[in-house]
Amino acid sequence: MNFFKAGITLLIALTLVIVLNLKLGDIPPLGKFLDPFHGFWNNAESRKVDKNKDLTFAGFKGNAEIRFDEQMIPHIIADNNYDLYYAQGYMTAKDRLWQMDFQTRFASGRLSEVVGKKAIELDKYQRRMGMMFGAERMVEEMKKDNQIEETMDAYTAGVNAYIHSLKPEDYPIEFKLLNYKPEDWKPVNSALLLKLMSATLAGGSNEFYMTNILNKYGPDVVKDLFPDYPYREDPIIPSTTKWDFKPVEVPKPSADLEVKGEKTSYNIRTKVLKEGIGSNNWALAGAKTASGMPMLANDPHLDLTLPAIWYQIQLISNDMNVCGVSIPGAPGVIIGFNERVAWGVTNVGADVLDWYSVKFKDQTKKQYWYDNKWNPTKLRIENIAIAGADAVLDTVYYTHQGPVVYLNEQKPGSFAKADNIPEGYALRWIAHDASNDTRTFYMLNRAKNYSDYREALKYYAAPAQNFAFASIDDDIAITPSGYFPLKWNDHGKFLMDGSNPANDWKGRIPVEQNPTVKNPPRNFVSSANQFSTDPTYPYYLNWEFAGYERGHRINNRLTVMSQANVDSLQSLQNDNYSMLAENILPLLISSVDTKGLNASQQESFGILKKWNKFFNANEIGASIFEIWQKELGNEIWRDEFADEKSPMRFPSRDRTVEMLLNEPKAKWYDNVNTSKKETREDLILSSYKYSVDSLEKRFGPMNKDWQWGNVKHTHIPHLAKVAGFGSGFINNGGSKTSVNAMSESNGPSWRMIVALGKNMKAYGVYPGGESGNPGSFYYDDMIGTWGNGKLNELLYLKSKSDNSDRIISTWKLSGK
Amino acid sequence: MLFLFIFIACLVFQLVLPWWIICPIAMGLAFWKAKTAGNAFFSGFAAVFLLWVIVGLFHSIPNENLLANRIGQLFTLPESQFNWVIILIVTGIIGGLVAGFSALAGFYLRIAFLKPARV
Repeated sequence: MNFFKAGITLLIALTLVIVLNLKLGDIPPLGKFLDPFHGFWNNAESRKVDKNKDLTFAGFKGNAEIRFDEQMIPHIIADNNYDLYYAQGYMTAKDRLWQMDFQTRFASGRLSEVVGKKAIELDKYQRRMGMMFGAERMVEEMKKDNQIEETMDAYTAGVNAYIHSLKPEDYPIEFKLLNYKPEDWKPVNSALLLKLMSATLAGGSNEFYMTNILNKYGPDVVKDLFPDYPYREDPIIPSTTKWDFKPVEVPKPSADLEVKGEKTSYNIRTKVLKEGIGSNNWALAGAKTASGMPMLANDPHLDLTLPAIWYQIQLISNDMNVCGVSIPGAPGVIIGFNERVAWGVTNVGADVLDWYSVKFKDQTKKQYWYDNKWNPTKLRIENIAIAGADAVLDTVYYTHQGPVVYLNEQKPGSFAKADNIPEGYALRWIAHDASNDTRTFYMLNRAKNYSDYREALKYYAAPAQNFAFASIDDDIAITPSGYFPLKWNDHGKFLMDGSNPANDWKGRIPVEQNPTVKNPPRNFVSSANQFSTDPTYPYYLNWEFAGYERGHRINNRLTVMSQANVDSLQSLQNDNYSMLAENILPLLISSVDTKGLNASQQESFGILKKWNKFFNANEIGASIFEIWQKELGNEIWRDEFADEKSPMRFPSRDRTVEMLLNEPKAKWYDNVNTSKKETREDLILSSYKYSVDSLEKRFGPMNKDWQWGNVKHTHIPHLAKVAGFGSGFINNGGSKTSVNAMSESNGPSWRMIVALGKNMKAYGVYPGGESGNPGSFYYDDMIGTWGNGKLNELLYLKSKSDNSDRIISTWKLSGK
Repeated sequence: MLFLFIFIACLVFQLVLPWWIICPIAMGLAFWKAKTAGNAFFSGFAAVFLLWVIVGLFHSIPNENLLANRIGQLFTLPESQFNWVIILIVTGIIGGLVAGFSALAGFYLRIAFLKPARV
């Protein structure tokens, strides 16, 4: 009996220990996690920040100092660049180690290693897209450049110095939740983060959908509904700009254009293209500002997550003094300013991703047909480790164009990221090319004038960005920058025959012939992801860019702006006015026959008629209009362009607006699935009713829950969607077609305004905080300011000796 | 007495060793010192419950319970300013149960092997 009792209780005790030390599904190992000596309680940071500290590092070459301002933003001052980037790596890791680790795992297809089987398709996808392949080539290129190699090495050493200083109880909380350990940082991780930007900003493609449309409706419909230049545009490079260069010869279209006959694969669902990854920037010449000195503003829009996407920092060494935001995991400043220049970026929607059909000789896939002969494929074997299961081997075949992302019948059935990928095609993507983009930022961080800016941009490849620029010499400029392949018109609009060499990319647009404008007569430059140029530019970049609405609104307001100051630029960044509403609301309202409306549809109609077309948080009209116009687009196109078997996309918003305004009798209004002949007015009315009815269904009879801020329901989730680590509901305004391009969880990831001059002032804010620790008071301390559309004045130390009463703590760093 | 021994030993050893060290500590000390089954279990439970709650508070108070409240949401509690109380009690109970059962096992092991006079 005693043995029995001893055995039972021993078993209970040991079982408890073992079970509580295991991660079960998504539940962390509870004993380990709750243990107040090593578990999550250790990540609870005091409101009081560390007092002054002295740190020593092996490998440090001189001395450095880190001064923290009241938001714990580090201002790093070093004797030499090695120590500077070392300290940047150290600080960034201290604040964002888990984010850096998770994002590089995500990019390189190594998530299954920590979260188990559920990430296997994602991991395969990232590897098949060649993310690591591209990052490795980038590292090789960086190694050829001594300064950049030193920069990467210093940053890496700094990150690792931090990692090596950690005891298990010090690990960021997400490591404890997911029950894994940080591993050493490598330069390829930094490269992966830049590739991740390419995947986010230049990783989309329409070719598969467009080919299906071409097959179904023929070239005339494609030309009509998917034109190569929009109905309304306000290009980034003003139309009056002259191209003062002699263009190189553009390759001729391949004669066969086999696109029409390309077979496409089936069993794939349509993905409605998501808009919202875009940005605004502009620069004003001194002639338009109150101070007489130029100003620059930038707000890059991304899918927002916590920890904050960007990491604020100031870096001071003997050859530079730069301030702004960095990518957690990469050295230098990406968007920012120094004492003489400021720059900001928005995405360029150039076509830098194409698909080529692949014909293998046989089942071994060792050879593929190209240029009238069999050519060898290259194999890349991906070994995917999986937590709690055996590793999976995945073979990816590469042609000279790139990886065959999915072989026939290989694509997973329910994996949204792969929806627009055709099976049996090789991917030609700029993100696979060797490039040294870090040099661009290295040089911009040190730029003194316009010619330094131009020189820096020569090294930039991807993701292509519109670099707006302003300097203290009163120069302003904007340059869509990147590696733009030389293409004939519509080259890569459709899937291409991979066996025909004529279809390949043949070199690039000479970098000095990339579109650019300096000091235009209108005294400002701007961009909002719209077309880079008008059709007079001698090269083809793409057939479609983001809608013109934001850019046009910015240009309208900047044109009439004079004596501009920080407040006027801030009000423009927060502008909620909808160009789309301006364009179509009058037509929509005049087309509704109010006789058939029920009481609540009548009441809503009255509100809409009085609505000022601003997507402010408290507007009910904005909610009704947004659902209305979206449903109207669906009702027009859904019957013709949503086919389970052969996925397609809808014509653009621009083309829809053009048709609504100018083609009242177009055949596309008719719903082909009904015997009745629907008209434009029928659809406008039915979509209007849908909009009011759906609001009523969600929120009850009209009440304050119908207000746009609530309907949009902005919030910022945690990067790994951990409940409790995201933000709460943020009641703000904005819309996809407003300058303040805010949607549910997508919007301005950083807002910056720089007023250059002797007494330079800079302002900025991001939705988050400097710390990546959910247990820190600095994790989300800027969200309130951001949500209200306000900015923080950025502390910019003018020199090593310039101190400020905003500094609350100072660390001294030296060699061991 | 046993309570105090477990409390102090766990405090010292946990500074350097992983959380499960509370199991052998409670087991060993109960093997040596426990008078009854009840005495073993409750000494182990109370000592570690109290220890973990106190150390949890030591971290959480300067943090104004910010993180513990978030952890409440992570464990699907609704957003509240008082989640931390629940998380703190759960923390104490988890540690307490492990130590309690370990101590109980220690006590029964002794009577199984050493057959003390009291039984």
